[in-house]
Amino acid sequence: MEAEASLHELKRLLDDRCGSLSWQEAEPALCGYSHTIWLEVERLRCLARVLADSGLVLEFITAVDRGHGLELVYFFSRPAAGWRLKVALRTAEGQPAPSICDIYPVANWQEREVFDMFGQRFDGHPDLKRILLPADADFHPLRHDFQAGEQHDGDHFDLERD
Amino acid sequence: MLRATLTDDTFYLNLGPQHPSTHGVLHLLLRLDGERIVECEPIIGYSHRGHEHMAQQRTLSQFLPNTGRMDYLAALMYNHAYCLAVERACGIAVPPRAEYIRVICAELNRIGSHLLWFGAYLLDLGGITPFLYAFDDREDLLAVLGEITGSRLTYNYCRFGGVARDLNQAFCDGLEAFIPKMRRRLADYHTLVSKNIIFINRTRGIGVVDADTALAAGFSGPCLRASGVDYDVRRAEPYSLYPELDFEIPTGQNGDCFDRFMVRLQEIEQSLRIVEQALERLPEGEVKAPAPQHPTPDPGDYLFTYESARGRVGIYLVSGGGRVPLRMKWQVPSFNNLSVLPSLLPGTLVADTIAILGSIDVVMPEIDR
Repeated sequence: MEAEASLHELKRLLDDRCGSLSWQEAEPALCGYSHTIWLEVERLRCLARVLADSGLVLEFITAVDRGHGLELVYFFSRPAAGWRLKVALRTAEGQPAPSICDIYPVANWQEREVFDMFGQRFDGHPDLKRILLPADADFHPLRHDFQAGEQHDGDHFDLERD
Repeated sequence: MLRATLTDDTFYLNLGPQHPSTHGVLHLLLRLDGERIVECEPIIGYSHRGHEHMAQQRTLSQFLPNTGRMDYLAALMYNHAYCLAVERACGIAVPPRAEYIRVICAELNRIGSHLLWFGAYLLDLGGITPFLYAFDDREDLLAVLGEITGSRLTYNYCRFGGVARDLNQAFCDGLEAFIPKMRRRLADYHTLVSKNIIFINRTRGIGVVDADTALAAGFSGPCLRASGVDYDVRRAEPYSLYPELDFEIPTGQNGDCFDRFMVRLQEIEQSLRIVEQALERLPEGEVKAPAPQHPTPDPGDYLFTYESARGRVGIYLVSGGGRVPLRMKWQVPSFNNLSVLPSLLPGTLVADTIAILGSIDVVMPEIDR
């Protein structure tokens, strides 16, 4: 009951401050989250602020590349409340998304990883650079069109670069 | 300190990537003012093997052996988490006996992981004796687990729908000897270390992370609980047998290195309790239910969370309806836990860096994936 009440309160707050959003119910026992919010890139920061003010934590950010633009996925939850929100947005090829790492410090490395793996840019990130791959890699390995093997001919990376 | 504000006498020090106290290939680029840290930049990715990419190139079954190679100290837990995630997404049933065995193994693995951490942490702080004790205990544990899993570290024991083989006599005998011995040793550890004034001075009040900072930084696991937040996925989103088991969630108050140490030692005791309960109630029956050779979830996305030795593991599976997943993201606890260093370290001493880094308990292959 308490979880439902807090979710209802959050809905009202979000409608107030960010305009009405489309909430889709999901089946938590199967897919691990209770609702999906699809929104436009421009409203992400507003939503993140409201969620942060309401005490939700950001678990992680990732992306899915189905071959036509990227789908960015953010998971927010309230520790121990038993519900989780999935916030999803689409970016066109080359379109930056707003960074939320001033609101959620955990987003700093999460956004770097999404950039590293998918090439997604985040406007306002203080230091958007690769995190897992070498700094001189010229590919983003989790993109739809990436083929493993071509890039890895043994001497691709310049290990003496520093 | 005044001088440092007037002139810039700072210099850079590379801590790692090859350094025994960085627990794997972690590279910390430190800017120092004398012994004090002005700036810290963790550089990671040295053991990036592309597990997520591999997962997107093969069927769910073919990826199973990879899971134990991310967090090699909690391989059984990663096995378990992955199997639970796939079973839930594909609707595969697991016989009760198999689930009990999995929980026993996962909790033993948690003890093993904490033991290795305990030994290595004290070694970082200059105490060699506890390391020898911890590895002695851990060796017993590895021998017991080896009886049924056939391996020492990178286990691949869980299967979709159960486990690879049933418990045997050697396992049960070994465990019967291990549990009381571990309890005695735990008491020794407290006498030897928790009450040791040198240890207390090195860890108490060092690397303090308060609850709000911990939550904002995405902490989970023992690090978060040491800051006083009683968040444990086994309680918050119960899976497997955990709703039926009686155990406590140890928490700390100060969020310093000492609390993180105490939380882990207390978790060893709680894991022993869980193992005992599971052994006592262990039902008879099959240990493996029939499951499709290549399970295929319906199109959609599935997130499964699991409490590993270092915190919350999230497996995010996106299926397009084929045998090979469209996307598989592994959210690993150490990644977020480590990302707090740049804001935590400035102002501390180099020696404290080792104490703080050790207390976070990072496993680099898990972070780098």
